[in-house]
Amino acid sequence: MASGPMDLLQGTLDVLVLRALRLGPMHGYAVSRWIRERTDGVLEIEDAPLYKALHRLERAGHVAAEWGFSENNRRARFYRLTPDGRRQLKDEEAAWRRYAAAVFKVLEPA
Amino acid sequence: MRRFFQLPWRTRQQIRTDVDDELSFHLDMRIDALVASGMARDEARTQAIREFGDIDDARRYIRAVDHDIEAARRRSDYMNDLRSDVIYAVRKLRGSPMFTLTAILTLALGIGANTAIFSVVNGVLLKPLPFPQQDRLVRIQFRQQGHGDASTPPDLADFRTRARLFEGFAHFEGLTANLVREHAEPERLVGAQVSANWFSLLRVRPLHGRFFAEGEDTPTAPLVVVLSEPLWRRDFGADPSIVGKQIQINAQLVTVVGVARDGQVYPMRAELWMPTRFSVRDLSDATRGARWLSLLGRVKDGVSLETANDEADRIEKQMEGLFPEQFRERRARSTQLQAAIVGDLQRPLYVIMAAVAVVLLIACANVANLMLVRATARESEMAIRTALGAGRSRLVRQLITESMILSIVGAAAGVMFAKWGMSVLIAMAPDDLPRVKTAAIDGTALAVTASAALLIGLVFGVLPAVQTKAGDLANALRAGARGTRTRRHANRTKRFIVAAEVALAVTLLTGAGLLIRSFRELMAVDPGFQPDHIMTMRVLLPGKTYDTLPKIADFARQLESRASALPGVRSAALGNAVPLDGTSFWLSFGVRGRAPVRQSEQPSASIRIVTPNYFTVFGTPLLKGRAFTADDRGNAPRVAIVNQTFVKRFMPNEDPLGKVVEIGWKIDGVRQGGQIVGVVGDIRDDALDANVDPIFYLPFDQTPVDGIAITARTAAPPASVTSALRGVVRDLDPTLPVYAVKTMEQQVATSVSRQRFYATLLGVFATVALLLAAVGLYGVIAYAVSQRTHELGVRVALGASGTRISRMVIGEGVILTAAGVFVGLVASLGGARIIAKLLYNVKSSDPVTFIAVALLLGVVAACASYIPARRAARVDPLVAMRGD
Repeated sequence: MASGPMDLLQGTLDVLVLRALRLGPMHGYAVSRWIRERTDGVLEIEDAPLYKALHRLERAGHVAAEWGFSENNRRARFYRLTPDGRRQLKDEEAAWRRYAAAVFKVLEPA
Repeated sequence: MRRFFQLPWRTRQQIRTDVDDELSFHLDMRIDALVASGMARDEARTQAIREFGDIDDARRYIRAVDHDIEAARRRSDYMNDLRSDVIYAVRKLRGSPMFTLTAILTLALGIGANTAIFSVVNGVLLKPLPFPQQDRLVRIQFRQQGHGDASTPPDLADFRTRARLFEGFAHFEGLTANLVREHAEPERLVGAQVSANWFSLLRVRPLHGRFFAEGEDTPTAPLVVVLSEPLWRRDFGADPSIVGKQIQINAQLVTVVGVARDGQVYPMRAELWMPTRFSVRDLSDATRGARWLSLLGRVKDGVSLETANDEADRIEKQMEGLFPEQFRERRARSTQLQAAIVGDLQRPLYVIMAAVAVVLLIACANVANLMLVRATARESEMAIRTALGAGRSRLVRQLITESMILSIVGAAAGVMFAKWGMSVLIAMAPDDLPRVKTAAIDGTALAVTASAALLIGLVFGVLPAVQTKAGDLANALRAGARGTRTRRHANRTKRFIVAAEVALAVTLLTGAGLLIRSFRELMAVDPGFQPDHIMTMRVLLPGKTYDTLPKIADFARQLESRASALPGVRSAALGNAVPLDGTSFWLSFGVRGRAPVRQSEQPSASIRIVTPNYFTVFGTPLLKGRAFTADDRGNAPRVAIVNQTFVKRFMPNEDPLGKVVEIGWKIDGVRQGGQIVGVVGDIRDDALDANVDPIFYLPFDQTPVDGIAITARTAAPPASVTSALRGVVRDLDPTLPVYAVKTMEQQVATSVSRQRFYATLLGVFATVALLLAAVGLYGVIAYAVSQRTHELGVRVALGASGTRISRMVIGEGVILTAAGVFVGLVASLGGARIIAKLLYNVKSSDPVTFIAVALLLGVVAACASYIPARRAARVDPLVAMRGD
């Protein structure tokens, strides 16, 4: 079962969104595109949970939102990382790496 | 990060639009991108929507999250604003310390006095009695012509068998106990004799041991006693092992079975309880005439008190049917226990509470005026802040914050003041004010204080804000720099407030004036004896040791002769009571030779039992016949003396001397009474403000009683013979405690202690009210003068003399006062009727009081206006007109 797209692990999406925003303020569409490009379609990501995650992160204070204008001059909602969000990203990234390393260790041939 | 300007919070509708915009932006972008890569638009739309997933769910979810975000933002903005408001307000208040201090002190005074009085009223009147379901407890009181409200053992039995709506009945009666311990002075205690079910009816649990068991109120049961917690701590070192031991009470050994929790007892001042041991005779119909028990009942759950009362009345009517002779027109009434205890205290205490509320109102009026003056002075500040973009609601909030801080600090200071005030009040309160000693500032009182403070803060914040109308702001800016612009409207409000304040003070002063005058009238009453230089004290002879009349008589003779022989004692006498000590002992009587009347229609008189010297000690004049002599012994012919009122009431057109009176009291089977040999002057025996009772005196030797009052007229101050008199008692019987040691002057003072308490309290409040009103008046006049400096300068320049100017200013104060006084007097005419019942010999419309109050206010107003008037008179026209 190698070829099909995989389901997201719980909480993974938040890390991905935060990671996307580390590049700078962007609107939801840009976040969506960036994640899709980076994962090469391996992860099946719908936009609905992505937007939910954005607003959830806003409520948690990890991102801040502001209305601005997109590259084609349309009103769009831009998100940026708050200092809190930056810290959160760092923590979760580290946790992920530890997690993945542990899984690899187990999978490594003995 | 602090935001310096405010983003408006998003409404529900705005959130909805925002979410829709955001999502449709996404879809549009995606569709455009797909179309650009060569897809047909319809197909692109389908794909974009598919990629998006559950869009409706997302929409709902996002909206909900955004609501949370907005709510949190509102909260934090609010807290930030509040913090900056508070910081700003504190800075402002510290900037004008005189204003702040005056306002806080005034509020502290008003709130503190209210908290203290409310706590007392709450403790005495409002707080429920400390028993489970106390609202079901009732006193059963009886009413019958010529009898008190007490009942008999058969009554108790009747109610127990006949009542269906009551869970049970219990009774109590007073008990005085001589407690004798080793290595300690004998002590006289006050307690109660009760039925065995007493404590279970109250539903209380003992602190140690147990309460009475069924059957312990029968004559054959062993003697048992329950101690009060305070007595147990004081006399028995709080030792729980006292339970089961025997102590000596009234010369008998009694087993302690339990200790009752402090505060959870009734009667509240009882120190010990013993079961009444009814004999078979007590329970027979023969005792239905003599009534000495107080009945308590507990109404069943779900039965209304009125229904229960109806049943009590019905039972009593049945009893009247069975015993028409003794129970003619006797009625039973059940009153909630708490109401029965509070009784006639309600009116005076509510009057005092109203009085102290008026003080608070006046205090508030003063603070309101202060705030208004301040608001006027700050108009330019407000105008500038408005010009800088502060919204009107923001300014109002600022003002409310300031006044809230004032009132909260004032309330806190007030509670401290109240604590002190409570200790003074409790020390000053008459002893017979129930539960007052345990009154304390509790949660209820604090809650009332807190809400008063909040209300005051709110009102005073809003008041000046209302004055500062938005339209005035430009004007304010223009005139603000000078700050001398007179604002008719604002001044009218201030004047109105001061006049109202004066009116309120007048009502208080009239009330206090009436009570004080009434009290002076009371003190001017001739008690019928000379209270100076008389010492009194009591002993109670326990029936176990003094079991025969000759033993009592013998003890009394020795006591009197030794007391009379003491140096410093002019004459000494014994009696069953001293005037005004609260002893009430009435008996019905018949006159020999007159047609017999029904028992229930017999006249009754107060009975006093005295030794021959009693009239000498009290200086009671002998009007007719002879006094008692040492020859009126137990075996001599029975004699009696009556007072003038007795003659007037019962023998108006006859010669009382020689008549034989028989009273309804038998000792050793002998009906008491005797031939009238003398008539003495009237004595106020019961109370100074009560009518003189008809009194029937019997010689002590012929009618010895176990409760003896020792009285001595002294040459020196009466207290000088106290220890010598005590010594006489100790020499005769070292186990006898001496109690109720009082000079006759103290006795008189105690008898009017309630009236004194009410008059003092109202007097204090009225004085405070007067002071506050004077301060308020001064403030308004002084402010008016300072505002008019310019105008006054012009007048002086035009030739007005200083006298003329000051007269003008004083006149203004007097006119304000006159208006207030007028309204206040009219209100007092109505209000005084409420206290009419508390007045003695003074009409509630007493013109002397009303005129005195009016004059007093006039003088105070003139004084309060005098200082600003002098300042006005000294205005230098040059300085005044140059402006500032």
